[in-house]
Amino acid sequence: MKEAKEKKNPEISVSITISTWGAFAVYVITGLFLIFGFHVVRNKYSVDLISDPTLTLRLLWIIEFPIVVIIYSLFRRNPEKCSYFRAVGRSLVGLIAGALINALGAVSLGAPIGMQSLSKTIHWSFLMSVFTVVPATAVLGASWIDWHRIFASLKPIGIIEHMLLVPAYGAIIGGWFGAWPMPLDWERPWQEWPICVCYGAIGGYIGGQMVSLLTLLSEHKNLKLA
Amino acid sequence: MTTAAMTCTRLTIFTVAGILLQIIGLSIFVFGFFPVKPTLSGVSGSESYRDPFCDSSLISNESELHHPEKLRLLYQELSGISSKYDRLILMVIDGLPAEFVLGKDGKPPEKVLKESMPYTQSLLANGDAIGYHAKAAPPTVTMPRLKAMVSGAIGGFLDVAFNFNTQALLDDNILGQFFRIGWKMVMLGDETWLKLFPGLFMRHDGVSSFFVKDTVQVDRNVSRHLPDELNSDDWNLLILHYLGLDHVGHTGGRNSPLMPAKLKEMDDIVRTMHLRAMMDRSHDQGQTLLIIVSDHGMTENGNHGGSSYEETDSLMLFIGLNSNISDYASATNNVAFQVDLAPTLALLFGVPIPKNNVGVLVPGTLCSLRDFEQLRALELNSWQLLRLMLAQIQSSSFPRVSCNCFLDGTCEGLDLDISECSGDKEKQLICLFRNAAALHGIWKSKKSTESSSTMEDFSRALDAYNTFLKTASEWLASKTTEKPVLLLGLGVSAMLLSCFICGTVFLSLFKEVYHEPKDRVCSLSNLLNLEEVFIFALLLILVISMGSSSMVEEEHYIWHFMVSTFHLLLLFKTAKSFKISKGMNILRDFKFGSIFSLLISGRLLRGWHQGGVNWTYLPDISKWLVQGGSGYVKWIQLISIILVIGLGLYTLFRTGSNRKGVRILAFGFSTCGFLVLLHVGRYQDELSTGFGATVTVKVIYYLLSISSIGASLVLPWSALNKDKSFLAEVGDCLYLIGSAYILCWCLLQQLLQQPINSGPILLLLLQILAILCLSSSDFQVNEWVEITALYYMGMAGHFALGNSNTLATIDVAGAFIGISSHSTILSGILMFMITYASPMLFLLSLVMYIGANLRNHSNSTISTHRETSLGQILKLKLGFPCLVPLCINSILLTAYTVVLLLMRNHLFVWSVFSPKYLYVCATTLCTYIGVCIVAATVTYTFYVTTFLRSNRTRHNNS
Repeated sequence: MKEAKEKKNPEISVSITISTWGAFAVYVITGLFLIFGFHVVRNKYSVDLISDPTLTLRLLWIIEFPIVVIIYSLFRRNPEKCSYFRAVGRSLVGLIAGALINALGAVSLGAPIGMQSLSKTIHWSFLMSVFTVVPATAVLGASWIDWHRIFASLKPIGIIEHMLLVPAYGAIIGGWFGAWPMPLDWERPWQEWPICVCYGAIGGYIGGQMVSLLTLLSEHKNLKLA
Repeated sequence: MTTAAMTCTRLTIFTVAGILLQIIGLSIFVFGFFPVKPTLSGVSGSESYRDPFCDSSLISNESELHHPEKLRLLYQELSGISSKYDRLILMVIDGLPAEFVLGKDGKPPEKVLKESMPYTQSLLANGDAIGYHAKAAPPTVTMPRLKAMVSGAIGGFLDVAFNFNTQALLDDNILGQFFRIGWKMVMLGDETWLKLFPGLFMRHDGVSSFFVKDTVQVDRNVSRHLPDELNSDDWNLLILHYLGLDHVGHTGGRNSPLMPAKLKEMDDIVRTMHLRAMMDRSHDQGQTLLIIVSDHGMTENGNHGGSSYEETDSLMLFIGLNSNISDYASATNNVAFQVDLAPTLALLFGVPIPKNNVGVLVPGTLCSLRDFEQLRALELNSWQLLRLMLAQIQSSSFPRVSCNCFLDGTCEGLDLDISECSGDKEKQLICLFRNAAALHGIWKSKKSTESSSTMEDFSRALDAYNTFLKTASEWLASKTTEKPVLLLGLGVSAMLLSCFICGTVFLSLFKEVYHEPKDRVCSLSNLLNLEEVFIFALLLILVISMGSSSMVEEEHYIWHFMVSTFHLLLLFKTAKSFKISKGMNILRDFKFGSIFSLLISGRLLRGWHQGGVNWTYLPDISKWLVQGGSGYVKWIQLISIILVIGLGLYTLFRTGSNRKGVRILAFGFSTCGFLVLLHVGRYQDELSTGFGATVTVKVIYYLLSISSIGASLVLPWSALNKDKSFLAEVGDCLYLIGSAYILCWCLLQQLLQQPINSGPILLLLLQILAILCLSSSDFQVNEWVEITALYYMGMAGHFALGNSNTLATIDVAGAFIGISSHSTILSGILMFMITYASPMLFLLSLVMYIGANLRNHSNSTISTHRETSLGQILKLKLGFPCLVPLCINSILLTAYTVVLLLMRNHLFVWSVFSPKYLYVCATTLCTYIGVCIVAATVTYTFYVTTFLRSNRTRHNNS
C-alpha cells in the first residue's frame, strides 16, 4: 500500500533521503542543543525556568531554532527548485505562524491572558513552534496536501516525514499532559504557567523522538527480513 | 446478539428499575453517612455535679424540684461555684469575621475597620474586654452555628439542608437550662431563634433574613426595642441578633462601602449596652455579662458556608469579665472554638453543661474565680465530657472503677502514679483524666493541711485538666463521624447494582445501533475513534480525580480543560476530512465557524469566574467588569438579553415552517424578553424589593411557564404539513418545542442570575446552537458522543456560572426574586434552578437535538422501513439521549459515593468531600428531572403525531 502511494507522489524520490541512523544523528544534535540551551541559561545567565521563565524560554528557542532550521532545510522537498535559503526563509515564516497557532491553542485550553503572562506565552509558543511547525515548514513548504496527509490523516511516507510527525505530536501531547499538575494545591513554583507545560512539551518531544526511532528501527528490521 | 431483541418497553422498565434502585441506595447511604441524631438523649440535671462513676441513683429528690428557684439554688449549692453574674446579654452579629475586630496574626485590624469601632477597641485596649477567634465548624451557615453555640455539639452535616426549614432544637442546650432555672429571656433579631426555641422567650421581635438586599431596616427593627429593654429589669437573658452585617457582605463583599458604617452602628450599640446596662447596675448585687459573638465569618465576596479561614473565623468577645488583662495583644490574640461558648456560659451562670457538649471552658474566662472554683469548673466540664465518652466507648474496653476512687486513691487495677499517657486513644483519655483527678485530689488534701506548695500543685492540676479537656474534646468531635456499616454497605451495593444495570442497558442499545449488519464492515478503528476514546478517558479521569481533595476543590479546571480539548479534537477531525480540492464550500466554513465559536465561547466562559478555592484571587472577567463600574455590567446584561431574544427569534423562524403556533410562540417569547428587559432596567438597582418588581417577575414566571408548557402540549396537535414524512414532521415539532424550552430557560436565568452571569448564559446558548449546527451538518460523530459532549459542556457551564464545590457559592439572593412571602419550597426551587442553570439548559437542549436529528436523517435511516413500530423508533431515537446522561451520572455518583466512603476519616471530609457530595446528589436530581422532561416531551409528541396521522389516513380513506 505504501509503495503504491510512493509511486503516486513522484516528488518524494527527488528529495534527499535519510537513513535511520541519520534520523538518530538529527535527534541527537537537536537534543544536544536543547541541553546546551539549558546549560547557557544556567551558567551564563544563572537563571532557570522557574526563576525567569521568559528569559529561559527565549534563549531556548533562539538557540534551538537555527539548528533545527539548518538541519531540516537539508531535507527540503524538491531541492532543485527550492534553494537552501528559501527553505530557511520559509521556516522563519513557519516559526511565526506556528507560534500563533500554538499560542491560540494554549489560550483556548485555558492559558492565562494578561499582561504579566503575555511574554511567557509568546516565548513558550515560539519554542513549541520550533518543536512542531518549523521543521515541517523547512521540509514541506506550503504544500497543503502534504501537510494534510501528514498531520491530519497521520499518514507519513518515508523517514523524514515520520521525523516531522512523531516528535511534533509528542511535544503537543506532552504539553497537554504537562498542564495537569497546574490546578493542584501543592504550592510548588513550577506549577505556574508555562513551566510545567514546558517541561511536559520537552519531555514529549524527546519521547516522540525515541518512539519514532524505535518504530523506524523495527520497520527497518522488518524490511530487512522481508 | 441476544440482547438486540430488547424492546422499548423492556428497555424502559430496566432503566426505571435501575433508577429507582439508585434512588433507594442513595437515600440509604445519605441517612447512614450523615449523622442526624445526637449521641445522648435527655437533659443534664443535678447528676452532672456528681462523679460519673458514682451511682446516680443517690439523687432521688430531683423530681420534686419543679420549682425553678429551688432548682437554681440546688445547682448553685452542688456546683460550689459562686455566680457573679445574674444577667447576660448575648449579642450575635451575623457574619462578622473576628478579623474585623481582633485583627489577624497578632496585627490589629485594618485602620478603617478599627476606626469604625472606637468603643469596642477602647474596651479591648483597657482590658475591659477579651476577644477570641472562635473557630466555627463547617457548614458555616447560621442555623447550625446557632445550634452549636447553644448546645456545644457539632451538629450533623445535613443541618444545611434544613437551614431554610428551621425546626425546634430538642437537644439539651444552654437556653433550655436557663429556662429551667426560671430565667426570663428576651430575643430581638433573626427569627431563626424563635423557630429553634418556640415558646422560650418572654418577649421577642423576630426579623426575617428574607430580604438579603435590605441592610438597614433589619437592624433598625432590632435596635428600636433596645432602650426599653435596657431600662427594664425583668429579664435575665437578652439576645440580640443583628443580620445587617451579613446582608452587607452578601451584597457587597468584605470591602463593601457600607461595611464601616455598619460596624460603627454595631459599635454604638455596644457602647449603649455597656454604659447603660453594665455601668449603671454595677452597684447592685449581681452583674451583667455582655458577650458579642458572630455565628460565622465571610469570604472576600461576602459568602459563607465553607470551611476556609475567612468563613470559620468567628468572634467571641466577653465584656465585663473583670479579668486582669492589661495589654491589647493579650486581649485579642486568643483562640477558642465556637462550641466552647456553651460550657463557659453554663459554668459562669451555674447551670449544668448540656449533655452533648464537646466544647471546653474558654480559658481566660475563669480568672475572676477563686482557685478551688476554677478547678471545680474544670472538673465539672471533665465529668460531662467523660459521660459523653462513656456512652461511646464499649464498656469492655473501659475499666470498672468505683465512685470517687480517683480522689480517694482506692481504684482497683489502676496505679495511681502520675504517668505519661500512651496507648490507644480511649486508654489515653482515661489516663489523662485519672492524672487530672489525682492532681486535683492532691491539691485538695494539701490545701487543707499546708499552704506552702499549693500554687505549684494548683497549676499542675489546672494543666492536667486542660490537657484532658482538649484531648477529649478533639476525640469527641472526631467521633461524630462514626458510621453504621450496614446501611452504608447496603446503599453502596444498591448503587453499584443500579450502575451495572444502567451500563448493561446502554451497552445493549449500543450494540444494537452500531452492530447492525450493514454497519458491520466498519473496522475496530472506526468503531472506537479518537473522540470516543477521549470521552471514555475523560470519564475515567473524572472518577480518579474525585479522590483528591484539591482536585475536588478545583474541579472546574478539569471540565474546562477537557471540554476545550474535545472541541480541539473536533477541529482536528474537521481538518482531517477537509479536502482542498473540493474548494471552500459553505458547509465546511459553517463547521469551522461553529467549532471556533465553541472554542472562543468556551474560553470566555472559563475566564468569566475564577472559581474553586485556591485561586479565587486571580483576575477574571467578572472582577474586571465589576471594577470597571456597574455601568459595564448593566450594558453586558442588556446586550445579552437582547441577543438572547434575537437568537431565540432567529432559531424559531429558521425552522422554515410558517405555522401560527410559531408566531404565537415568538410573540410570547418576545413579550417575556421585553418584560425581563424592563425588570432589569428598572428594578434591579433598587436594593429593596418593591411591589412593582415582584408583580413583573411573577408575570414573567407565568408567561414563561405558559409558553414552554403550552408549546410542548399544543404544538404536536398543530402539525398540518401533509407532504412531509412522519419523522420529519415529528422532528420539526420537537425542534420547535426544544427551542421553546431552552429559550424560556435562558430568559428565566437572565432574570434570576446575578447581573454578571448574563454574559455566560448567552455564551451557553451560543454553544448549544453551535453544537446543534455541527451535528446537523453531516458531522461524523456518533450520537452518543455528541450527547455526552452536551452533558460535559453543561457541567463546564455550571462552573462557568461561578459555582464551585463549596456551599458558599450558592446564590441565595436570587432565590427570593418575585416571591412576596417566605416560602421554603419556592425559594428552594428557585435556588436549585439558579445553581443548576447550565446542566438543565443542556439537558433541555436534548429535545432540540432529537428534533434536529430527526429532521436531518428522516429520509435516510428508519423511514425506509415502514413496518418499524413506534416503540422501535422511540427506542432508537430516545434511547441514547435518556440513557447517556443517566449512565454518566450513575457512574459519577457511584464512584463518588465509594470515594466518600473511603475518605470518611480524611481531614477534609466535612469541608471538601461532603459539600461535593451534596452537589453530586443535586446533579443527580437535576439529571432525573431533565431526562424525565425530555422523555415525556418526545414520547408525547410521537404519540400525538401518530394519532393525528392515523386519523388523517382514516379520514382520507373514508
